[in-house]
Amino acid sequence: MTVQFELRTQVIEPQRKTFQHLVDRYGDRPASRYEEGTIDLQATANYHFRPLWGPELDIYSPDYSLLKLADPYSYVDPRGFYYAPYVTSRADLHESFAATLGYLEKRGLFDRLPEAWRALFAEVVLPVRHYEAAAQMVSSHAARFGWGTTITQCAAYAAFDRIGNAQLLSRAGISFGGGTADSLADAKVRWLEDDALQPLRRLTEETLVERDWGLGMVRLDVTDQVLYQLLYTHLDDAAITGGAGSYSLVSQHLSGWFADQRRWFDALYKAWVADPEHGADNLATLRRTVADALAAADTALRPLAAKADELVGAGCAAALDQAVAATRTHFADLGITTEES
Amino acid sequence: MTLTPDKPKAKARKLSMKERYSALTRDLDWDPSYVPADEMFPYTTFEGIKIHDWSKWEDPFRLTVDAYTKYQAEKDRRLYAVLDGFAQSQGHLSLTDASYLNAMKLFLQGVSPLEYQAHRNFAYLSRHLNGPGPRFASLCQSLDEIRHAQTEIHTLSNYNKYYSGFHSYLHMHDRVWYLSVPKSFFDDALSAGPFEFLIAIGFSFEYLLTNLLFVPFMSGASFNGDLPTMTFGFSAQSDESRHMTLGLEAIKFLLEQDPDNVPIVQHWIDKWFWRGYRVTALVAQMLDYMLPRKVMSWKEAFELYFEQQMLGGLFQDLAYYGIKPPRDVGKAIQEKEHLSHQAYWILYQFSHAAAFTTSVPSDETLDWLEEQYPDTFPTYRALWDKEKKNVANGGRHFVRGLPQLCQVCQIPMGFTEADSPFTICQRSVVFEGERYNFCSDGCQNIFEHEPVKFRQAWLPVHQIYQGNCGGADLGDVMQWYGMQPGDGGEYLGSPDHQNWLRWHAQADHSELGED
Ligand SMILES: [Fe+2]
Ligand SMILES: [Fe+2]
Ligand SMILES: [Zn+2]
Repeated sequence: MTVQFELRTQVIEPQRKTFQHLVDRYGDRPASRYEEGTIDLQATANYHFRPLWGPELDIYSPDYSLLKLADPYSYVDPRGFYYAPYVTSRADLHESFAATLGYLEKRGLFDRLPEAWRALFAEVVLPVRHYEAAAQMVSSHAARFGWGTTITQCAAYAAFDRIGNAQLLSRAGISFGGGTADSLADAKVRWLEDDALQPLRRLTEETLVERDWGLGMVRLDVTDQVLYQLLYTHLDDAAITGGAGSYSLVSQHLSGWFADQRRWFDALYKAWVADPEHGADNLATLRRTVADALAAADTALRPLAAKADELVGAGCAAALDQAVAATRTHFADLGITTEES
Repeated sequence: MTLTPDKPKAKARKLSMKERYSALTRDLDWDPSYVPADEMFPYTTFEGIKIHDWSKWEDPFRLTVDAYTKYQAEKDRRLYAVLDGFAQSQGHLSLTDASYLNAMKLFLQGVSPLEYQAHRNFAYLSRHLNGPGPRFASLCQSLDEIRHAQTEIHTLSNYNKYYSGFHSYLHMHDRVWYLSVPKSFFDDALSAGPFEFLIAIGFSFEYLLTNLLFVPFMSGASFNGDLPTMTFGFSAQSDESRHMTLGLEAIKFLLEQDPDNVPIVQHWIDKWFWRGYRVTALVAQMLDYMLPRKVMSWKEAFELYFEQQMLGGLFQDLAYYGIKPPRDVGKAIQEKEHLSHQAYWILYQFSHAAAFTTSVPSDETLDWLEEQYPDTFPTYRALWDKEKKNVANGGRHFVRGLPQLCQVCQIPMGFTEADSPFTICQRSVVFEGERYNFCSDGCQNIFEHEPVKFRQAWLPVHQIYQGNCGGADLGDVMQWYGMQPGDGGEYLGSPDHQNWLRWHAQADHSELGED
């Protein structure tokens, strides 16, 4: 044991502080675990084969999107998420959601929802779990085709988040359905058939087939911004005044998640716009894409807002106007101005 | 909140675990009606695989996002606590020997980047497979794989601070000749279609060969005092068992969907067995030569993990579907007593151009090898006896020229005929006026199936000759590789060796001083 002890107290000078690519990039300083686990992980050269499923481009290529960064690692995730802190943060999120759900169940709070709010939850909110599932797919596409690990890693975690959101809504739906999948089955039929939801489903499917991962993510994000404001901010407020506190208890987990999603995505918009080489092109692409997507989200969500108003009369049509305007302002604050259509 | 709860309704039947899992995963899917299905899933037809009913996919495991994140967060908390403790206590000094780290250099340079590639392509499957069941399973695996890449980097990061050869593993993976072996393997899989990828990586890599590719490194760690790597290995185990069940479900699913899938899958098994088996040459020499404290011989590992478990178990089950053992499996069996010796001999002679060191095996190792390989090792031992004399005369052997590489597996052409183990095996094929060389029938067959693909291979030696690697002389190429002094060559007298002796001598002195 003496030897062990001595070995431990002995001062041994390290030969280097971190890996060479990090020294080259950041100078001779110790690197964080985020940096060691992220920066330069994706290969950028000497690919052996062109893909059989698309020989025009390499296995990894900046040309899978119009949106480009001269150096993809000029962007870093402001949350510093590598796998361990990511899953830790999401374990907390789902644990606190489970606590909420436990409370709602124990107090029979879903059953105490006013009838109109029950209908809103079943007919408007629960079907959105399918939208979340599609958001996973859009994000996974970006996780595969994006250029540079700082971006694709965010997209990969976002993909998992979205299926997590879909599951969170589904678990609420199972609770709401008294431990059965009845309300989920009903919500699925509505997603497939209800007039109020078809424009959103159409927009979702059109977003899914966007091959440009960057444009796909932007379109999704624009819709997200409007939809989340409407469902989980505006209706959250309305629920509290409308005696539907349990709706608010559920929706807080989604609005809380969305605040986290904004952190990495807004930083990415800034990086795209500020890029020394591609900034101007990116800005033009973003202005065009955001303007289109915003108009599309507005159109797609109109009938959903009307339906919500029909059910709970919570001023959703006006809230949608506001959400669209707020999203436009949000982009303008990021330097991405759009004409009002 | 003023309403009283409704009277409990007629007791509804609660969901079973399976129904609940299904409600939370595959039930989220729907058939698109606003866009055509082939636009939604553009990549799942060209390979000729026929899927009639995606709902027949049996979920290989049932983990929802809440359970997954909870379980994984707990595992990582424990793993990182071990890493931190090891770093703080200078745990690296309790390794069996600094030369052990050659195995870990090979692992970080050759394997961790593959984990990352797996992460990216399982993300592809989690978008582009038509079935929601396999999409979700792939999504979980995609996350696991970035976990593996990162935890491996973080595990080995501490060694990088004290030892050579780790510092530029990413840069090297995409450039250095021996790393082109694993890189080309995974690039091959990523550039294939989604079904071939499922068989190549999901089945072949994660199931068929995982105990030969991955487990030997982890066992080596546990035998050689490498607590962090061992802990990483344990904490990856539950992930890996999910990956194995995914791979097995994938192959069964493809085979059950349509009889026309059988010959396609058979070809992929043949191909990916041989591709993977060639990569295991690096593992074979690691097991037999690089570990100061041996775990088991390559031959033993091959017999146990491949011949008994796979040929004796798995392929008996797959026979039901009309699947035969991999085409060239007989050759692999024939050469099991030669592979590691030939692979290490190649690396020994070229290690001046590598980011690990080699040395003549100690007498103890030579004796052990002779015990393990009584029929073949005497011949190889004669080679080492001769080399010992060279070393004693100051003439340690390095090959100064550049080797010819196999067009498919990219290993220097130093393997022998499987049935005539002291004749170098050389095959070649002329395709569209150009000659291509192969190390074996297995590699030649693979080429002949996909010549248009394999003629694209980025062959490190060709690239050097074409002037794409920094220059014409070895020094230029080494610089382009990112090599630093002390990374490669002979272990004895290397910076790692000298530091090791010095650190331990200091420790011993301080111990004496205290007494
Ligand atoms: Fe892995
Ligand atoms: Fe795996
Ligand atoms: Zn070969």
